[in-house]
Amino acid sequence: MAFLEIDGLKKRFGNVEILKGIDVELEKGGFLVLVGPSGCGKSTLLNTIAGLEQITEGEIRVDGRAINDLHPSKRDIAMVFQSYALYPNMTVAGNISFGMEMRGVPADERQKAIDKVAKVLQIGHLLQRKPSQLSGGQRQRVAMGRALVRDPKLFLFDEPLSNLDAKLRVDMRIEIKRLHATTGTTIVYVTHDQIEAMTLATKIAVMRDGEVQQFGTPAEIYNNPTNLFVADFMGSPAMNLIPATIATSGNALSVVLQREAREPITLPMANAPTGLSAFQGKPIIFGVRPEALTDPEGAERNASNIATADLHIEVVEPAGSDTFAVTNLGGKPVVARLRADANIQPGTSTPLAFNLTKAVFFDPATESRIR
Amino acid sequence: MSAVATPARQASGGMSTKTLNRIVIYGLLALFALFYLMPLFVMLVTSFKTMDEIQNGNMLALPKAPTFDPWIKAWSEVCSGLTCVGMKGYFWNSIKMVVPAVLISTLLGALNGYVLTKWRFRGHTLVFAMMLFACFIPFQSVLLPMATILGSFGRFGVTLQNATGFNFGLGNSTVNLVFVHVVYGIGFTTLFFRNYYEAFPNELIKAAQVDGASFFQIFRRIMLPNSLPIIVVTVIYQFTNIWNDFLFASAYAGSGDVMPMTVALNNVVNTSTGVVEYNVNMAAAMIAALPTLIVYVVAGRYFVRGLMAGAVKG
Repeated sequence: MAFLEIDGLKKRFGNVEILKGIDVELEKGGFLVLVGPSGCGKSTLLNTIAGLEQITEGEIRVDGRAINDLHPSKRDIAMVFQSYALYPNMTVAGNISFGMEMRGVPADERQKAIDKVAKVLQIGHLLQRKPSQLSGGQRQRVAMGRALVRDPKLFLFDEPLSNLDAKLRVDMRIEIKRLHATTGTTIVYVTHDQIEAMTLATKIAVMRDGEVQQFGTPAEIYNNPTNLFVADFMGSPAMNLIPATIATSGNALSVVLQREAREPITLPMANAPTGLSAFQGKPIIFGVRPEALTDPEGAERNASNIATADLHIEVVEPAGSDTFAVTNLGGKPVVARLRADANIQPGTSTPLAFNLTKAVFFDPATESRIR
Repeated sequence: MSAVATPARQASGGMSTKTLNRIVIYGLLALFALFYLMPLFVMLVTSFKTMDEIQNGNMLALPKAPTFDPWIKAWSEVCSGLTCVGMKGYFWNSIKMVVPAVLISTLLGALNGYVLTKWRFRGHTLVFAMMLFACFIPFQSVLLPMATILGSFGRFGVTLQNATGFNFGLGNSTVNLVFVHVVYGIGFTTLFFRNYYEAFPNELIKAAQVDGASFFQIFRRIMLPNSLPIIVVTVIYQFTNIWNDFLFASAYAGSGDVMPMTVALNNVVNTSTGVVEYNVNMAAAMIAALPTLIVYVVAGRYFVRGLMAGAVKG
């Protein structure tokens, strides 16, 4: 039995269904990230777990106990908010101990708990300050301290890093990951940033329009997206999704990609998914991540199925660690990821290697994966 | 012609156009300020003059021999109608009316604003619209209905008096005025607090809920401590309005020793017997105006800050 179980959860506002039957579960000590574009219902889902919003149908269980009818303070949870929601009129110490004060914990115990958390988060020198006297990163720490001090069964994070600048965001991300590793707490984390989702999660639920599109480990989500939306949403730069057709050459299938002003490319598929044979002569979407389209020298040596083709390079973007080259296939810009020192010029025709073991195929009509 | 005039103007005024604008602006402002302060000045100097000096001298002249006698007389001797015990009793009447009325209406307004923004219920906009409507009711139109209600309070007070030996303040003129001012103040105080709390972050309420704070704990520990600017605005507004109110005061406590300051001042000034003692009248009027002035001086900067708070966030 999982530690956190969400069963057929539905949430309606009047006639509008915000959450359309969510089923998610998380093991003890796991890190679940709810990710999706704005308006997908991920924050609403988190709020229902917190008890800040009522659910219409379904059940939420923590450690085997149904909590969906309990008041937020009785659910044994702690929450870190996007704006940190520190009480402006109280000192840092007051903020951290407010919850304990409300539960009638004696003053000396409160002080002990404050000191312990302050030590973990290294905010001891800030305890007597007001939130307005803190920097963004310090506020973030205090907000986490307020959650940590409760020692709850479940931590809820609502886009906690979105108000920080880029560098601090990376630092705090590592901090959260370290905190999770050292304390072994169970965390549910909402973000719209797929990099945060990939780096932090043990489980990811990709959401759209109140539905979970895919639920799995970061590797599953990244390598085996179940539909076009997940494939497109996760990964940066995004997966190349190229309109293509399936042709038969001999008894093997091949993918045909249109090029501008030149004959199409035909990529022979040695290990095509079985479902693909039904699409002979039909349009499909051919998905290949930028790192699976690279210069032949940089291609994975032990990949079993590599096809090389000459492509016209339109733009080259040196990013320092990598070089991105943009070409055009099937009428869409396609990004290839090359080594930083790859010798490549815009306006030339250059051979690039497709790692077809990593390629995925989608049905353009249903947008679901062809397996 | 303009071709000739333009360079000429530039030559002569290039440096001073800005200065000239400043002079005009500040000159006008000074003029308006002077115009506005003139009556106050006349009141102040007159209140320190003897009657001789008033009758023979210039209204704007400074007192030749400043005296506090008019103030002392206004405070403890002046006649309001037939009783000659000064303004002090009426001053305390006003204080006893204003302080509870301001505190209660401010607190209720804060509570209303809190509920209307953070604990929304079906029809909250309608309730707020009706509250707003209360702000625009002309008070003359409610004089009679309110008198009927206060009358029944009084009768109920007599019943309680007979039954329990204590009337719980019902029928007392000061209590009546506090009630009236609270009722007609709630519209404005609710408006102030609702608009202030509208911009108050909801996440703070959620955080407090997760922390286990109850409805009133959130109000007392989170909302009120973060409402200082709007509390000051409301207190100043309510204090000034209630202190200066003449209509309700004269209608429901218009005679005897329960009169508030405003009614008493009117009676002092309107006394038709003997010589009109301008210096004493002026001193009495100054005493009547002093508390609102003090409130402005002490809390004025918060007033401006509070009025701005909702408009420019951040």
